[in-house]
Amino acid sequence: MNLTTTKTRLKGAETGHSLLKRKSEALTTRFRAIVRKIEDAKLKMGKVMQNASFSLAEVAYITGDISYQVRESAKHATFRVSAKQENVSGVLLPAFERDTRTGGGSQFELTGLGRGGQQIQKARAVYMTAVEMLVELASLQTAFVILDEVIKLTNRRVNAIEYVIIPRIENTISYINSELDEQDREEFYRLKKIQGKKKERAAVAQRETDAKATARREMPVRDILAEQVDEDIIF
Amino acid sequence: MNEIYFNAYAGYLEGVVRGYRDGLITAPQYLNLTQCETMDDLKLQLATTDYASFLQNEPSPMSTSTLSARCTDALVAEFQYLQQNAAEPISKFLDYITYGYMIDNVILLITGTLHERDTHDLLEKCHPLGFFDTMPALCVATTVQDLYSTVLVDSPLAGYFRECLSAEDLNELNIEIIRNTLHKAYLEDFYAYCQSLGEPTASIMSDILKLEADRRTVNITINSFGTELSKDDRAKLYPRLGNMYPEAQTRLARVDDIDQVKAILEQYSEYKAMLVGVSLGASSGGTGANDVTLEDRFFAREVQFNKDSFEQQFHYGVFYSWLRLKEQEIRNVVWVAECISQQQKDKINNYTSIY
Repeated sequence: MNLTTTKTRLKGAETGHSLLKRKSEALTTRFRAIVRKIEDAKLKMGKVMQNASFSLAEVAYITGDISYQVRESAKHATFRVSAKQENVSGVLLPAFERDTRTGGGSQFELTGLGRGGQQIQKARAVYMTAVEMLVELASLQTAFVILDEVIKLTNRRVNAIEYVIIPRIENTISYINSELDEQDREEFYRLKKIQGKKKERAAVAQRETDAKATARREMPVRDILAEQVDEDIIF
Repeated sequence: MNEIYFNAYAGYLEGVVRGYRDGLITAPQYLNLTQCETMDDLKLQLATTDYASFLQNEPSPMSTSTLSARCTDALVAEFQYLQQNAAEPISKFLDYITYGYMIDNVILLITGTLHERDTHDLLEKCHPLGFFDTMPALCVATTVQDLYSTVLVDSPLAGYFRECLSAEDLNELNIEIIRNTLHKAYLEDFYAYCQSLGEPTASIMSDILKLEADRRTVNITINSFGTELSKDDRAKLYPRLGNMYPEAQTRLARVDDIDQVKAILEQYSEYKAMLVGVSLGASSGGTGANDVTLEDRFFAREVQFNKDSFEQQFHYGVFYSWLRLKEQEIRNVVWVAECISQQQKDKINNYTSIY
């Protein structure tokens, strides 16, 4: 009974192990791809940011400080980020995307009307791409962190199953097996013993009967006639 | 007749301003500045200029914004010295120069009021040259209506506000349009005032102000493409003076793209020369190291006019010119500093050199 359940458990553990292993492999492939993308994005980011801050310097050269005007004329966000969920072999990865639905034109398009408007618009466009890059990088980075954790978790599970659970079950099985064998052997021995005893007993009985028989055979037959010694009768 | 009394009223100040002019950074000095590798080097190089005393107490990792702030401090200190020593006709001229900054400050405060910000913080952001006595009182006003009726009426700018805006406009119009309307009114008023000063101030200032007006016209035209600004509104923002007034302005008011602007500008010999080698579509795509924008050409031309005004004596234009040159110089220094701190050495020579 127990052996069967344990064996089923072993089978379950093995299937789980192979499944988890496959999952971890899939995740690792994904992880590698993300790492590569992050590297690219980060390198690009440096360039884009440099460009962006330089275009701001150009604005400062032509127009002077516009930060306050821009801040005050911003009434609602023109750039929105929406989060979606992506399923990669059972792991939910958040993916950030630029929400294009709110197109709404630039509110400070008239800033720098007198001078430097072109530079401001240019700086705006450059920063827009920079922010887009940032959003992309952010989703990659979160995916990176989450995947990292999940991969570690999965690997831990795989290893736990491989090195702890499966051996433990196997141990149990072998123990059960050895116990059963022991029982078998005991039974067998007992049977043998009983058989021996029986044989012995049978032999003794046989011997007794034999002895009786011989005894009976050897015992002189009573000759009643001889016993009876009659006095001679004289007539 | 002006020349006879000129030195009695303005001789000292003119001397001072010409002295200031000699303190402007020269081409070899610019070359030295552009050779710098770090901000500390730059600071060391600036120690030989007029900015030395304003920069010496700055702690070593100096940002470009502090550099710009300190340089502006230097400019303001010099200008205020002029103002403090000025007597009647010239002090009025100097006041006129500051009105432009006042407009910017007032606009800043109005924006703050409209968005219900604490206007006290804004006072620090105001340009010190545009500071006027009643300006702190602007912080008291909580609504735009108050602002107009209690404070602005007493300020030197009241005239401009009265001419072009009613209190309702302050709430409704885009703040940038208000700013440009005010600047337009200011330019026209300043021009009229300069004309009343008589020769040679009138002719020198008229050249400079006309250029300024033309620049505003062209910039407003180019920058209003693709915005909500209607063509009628655009025409209203053009200053009513300048070489292009009125004929080219009416045509500029109707154009739709940059090539048409170019075609109109090419009819003026002085602007035709400016357009050579200029990429007007600079707003789209990255500009290379050697691309020149129209803005740069206007700067160069403005510098040229301002330099020319020093060639004559007995006029007030030098004060205006010196201020403009000094501003340009600060822009140049900050530009060089930006290029150094951002390590974009290939564009470092895009400044507009003065001497």
